[in-house]
Amino acid sequence: MKRTVLLVLLLMLLLTGCRRYSGVLPYAREIEDMELMRTLGVDDAGEAGVVVTASGGTSQEETEVVSGQAGAISAAVLELQGEGSSYLYFGHVTQLLLGEGLAKRGVIPSLDYVLRDVEMRLETAVYLVRGGTAEQAIEAAADDGSATDRLEALAADAALTANSMPRTVKDVLAELDRQSASFVPAVLADDGLTAAGYGILKDGVLVGWAEGDAALGVNLIFGKVDADVVEVEAPDGTTAVLRVVGAATSVRPVWDGDTLTGFRVHCKVDANLAEGSAMPDEATLTALEEELARTEADRMAQALELSRALDADYLGLRHSAAFRKPWRKEVLLGTSSMEGLTLEASAQVVIQRSYHADG
Amino acid sequence: MAHYPPGGQTHPHPRQEPRYPGPITLARLEEIFRDCVDFVRRTVWVGEDPERSVTLVYLSGMVRMERVSDYLLRPMAQDPELARCAGAVPMMERMRQGALYNLTIEARDSLDQVVFDLVAGWCVLMFPGETTVLSCFTGTEEKRSISAPDNETVLKGSKDAFVESLRTNTSIVRRHLKAPELRIQEQIVGRQSATLVDLLYIEGITNPHLVEQVAAQLRDIDIDGVFSTGAIEEYIVPAERTPFPLIQYTERSDRFCAGLAQGRVGILIDGIPLGYLAPAVLGNFLQAPQDKSSNWLLATVLTVLRYFCMLTTLLLPALYIAMVTFHQEMIPTRLALSIIAAKQNVPFRSAFEVIVLLIAFEILQEAGLRLPQSIGQTVSIIGGLVVGSAAVEAKIVSPAVLIVVAVAGIAGYTMPSQELGGALRIWRFVLVLLSSAAGLFGTVVGAAVLIVHLAGIESFGVPYLTPFAVGTGRNPREHVLLRRPMPQIKDRPAALKPRNRRKQR
Repeated sequence: MKRTVLLVLLLMLLLTGCRRYSGVLPYAREIEDMELMRTLGVDDAGEAGVVVTASGGTSQEETEVVSGQAGAISAAVLELQGEGSSYLYFGHVTQLLLGEGLAKRGVIPSLDYVLRDVEMRLETAVYLVRGGTAEQAIEAAADDGSATDRLEALAADAALTANSMPRTVKDVLAELDRQSASFVPAVLADDGLTAAGYGILKDGVLVGWAEGDAALGVNLIFGKVDADVVEVEAPDGTTAVLRVVGAATSVRPVWDGDTLTGFRVHCKVDANLAEGSAMPDEATLTALEEELARTEADRMAQALELSRALDADYLGLRHSAAFRKPWRKEVLLGTSSMEGLTLEASAQVVIQRSYHADG
Repeated sequence: MAHYPPGGQTHPHPRQEPRYPGPITLARLEEIFRDCVDFVRRTVWVGEDPERSVTLVYLSGMVRMERVSDYLLRPMAQDPELARCAGAVPMMERMRQGALYNLTIEARDSLDQVVFDLVAGWCVLMFPGETTVLSCFTGTEEKRSISAPDNETVLKGSKDAFVESLRTNTSIVRRHLKAPELRIQEQIVGRQSATLVDLLYIEGITNPHLVEQVAAQLRDIDIDGVFSTGAIEEYIVPAERTPFPLIQYTERSDRFCAGLAQGRVGILIDGIPLGYLAPAVLGNFLQAPQDKSSNWLLATVLTVLRYFCMLTTLLLPALYIAMVTFHQEMIPTRLALSIIAAKQNVPFRSAFEVIVLLIAFEILQEAGLRLPQSIGQTVSIIGGLVVGSAAVEAKIVSPAVLIVVAVAGIAGYTMPSQELGGALRIWRFVLVLLSSAAGLFGTVVGAAVLIVHLAGIESFGVPYLTPFAVGTGRNPREHVLLRRPMPQIKDRPAALKPRNRRKQR
């Protein structure tokens, strides 16, 4: 009985409100006292440090955008807290926007902040704002809904457009650690946050852009193609519209004895005849397949050329090859340089069916 | 004036055995039943001979008058052979041998036995100068007719539920279990009520040690009377400090008999229309009697659903508090935004809201149970719908909390056992309090304590978490989560240690 009373008294110490005793318990904060932030933007502010912009809410309600400037991201976030009446909660941030200026100085501090902060998640999607700042992008998107909704829609449609794909902080950090290079999808600072290819990072710094066919090539190499539409010229001079519905890529290292001389990237592409007549004859079909294969190989070659030119293995070719040849792992992963390596791309296309009613 | 010892502490005193010592005399019986208006004595002449008289003693209302008249008085008055008996002893012997038509006639020489016979509806014939009497069973058999169970719905199955009459109940069991190996032991429990309690089991199947254990528990009961089920339940289960039921009850005779055939021990109590089965583990309370009548796939899905509901009723309010107050990152963003919108302008903290609504839910439930059925339904409707929706509209509680508490409450109603449901309600409060103090950490600690508690209790030697926590031998096919087709369940539960494990070819 005495023990029970003692235990109850000890437990009551936790209810006294004295932090000395209640410090062992987690800190309670009511959800209605919070403002859920969903998009976080970080920009370079020169000597002043960084500008952090955050937005919350949904397109159905008024989007709240707050902004703060300080020498470090943590300090800027703390400054944000003082602006609103509610507690700004960053546990629901799903999108991280990084301005181009900041990316050119280095993205590692921003990604590291996400890694270390107790509220932020490594699954947060990261984007670069090409030709502008994250603040501009968030403000522009807020005029027409919210940046979060727009970026979520962009991520959902990425495989359809085949020139963008969502990347998380975890992906980018892991790749920078593993192969010293990575790539991040880019958006323009307009009100629609239009996809603008990929920014290529090397040692945490933005070194170039993969845009147009190179961006499409990146998606092909990663197999993120669900509905890319390609127009090719048929042998009879007409234009055939093909829909690329799948891609599977393999990376093979090329050896000269024990010396790595390059990589051969081969992509198997599945396509359907999207518009036009019923399934053509065998010869026309073969011609269409060869034409599409040339187009897709060219796209991949442009993406690979960027890797060679920037000397950045942002596509993870060495790791992909090491998976296939684990007994050559030491040579393949000994360095991350792409200098002097021959990078070849080839594609093999199979047109499965036509969307025409007659097959 | 009542005398109380110093300090107000009373001390146990042993039961007096025999309760009424001494010889059997009419004067002694009249003294014992003094001031009893139903005590009746009548002196009758045997064969119309005033020299041969017999005193008939009974308690009015406890005996059936027609039987006394037809089976006792008529032959005594009309049988010439009885009138010719030389003395009381030959007359008693002749009566026992068949001169009286009554089915049961016993010679008694203990006053204690005679007194309890009278109370039980026996009629006593006393012979002048003799200390031995004849006791004839002529009790009334007023009883409720056998009907369908009220609280355990039967869709497919027998509808002969237990009634208050013990002998009727044993006869129902005999009709279901025609095996001669069915054993029915009887004990009297209660100093004042002297209630008959029968212990049923099937010899050759039930573990004899288990039978002895239950019988010993019954023998140890020394109480005033058996007026409620708790009088037996709380005495025969080991004195565990747990709200969880350790003995299973049913009003369905088919379920009771299935338990006996499984190797469990049954208990029937006179005056209580329920049958008890021991031992009982957690899994037993999550199986509905209908499961065995349903398709095995359906029964499996429903059993899994019940386990899910058990976790829901236990954990949902605590998890809600933990997530809304401590771990907001666990809530999907759009749901979090909806909760924030719903909680705007509600003045109370989430934990307080949940606790108050849980208490209100319990109050409504209790009010509904205590009132007559028609008024009870009205109270539920007014309390649940009108007050609930008014409270939400007045921004006193948030709709999210109302939904959480209602879902938890309704999930609790899926428990086939009311006792288990009650235990879960108590633990739900404990978990809510822990969650209010320490969030998910508190909930997990509470859940761990609950598991440790459940793992520590036993029902007549069988661990309560069988078969989750202990092995059940090779190829266990018992119905726990998965109810296999009947032809595949070849063995009785190993945990019961039956003498014959195999139950079918």
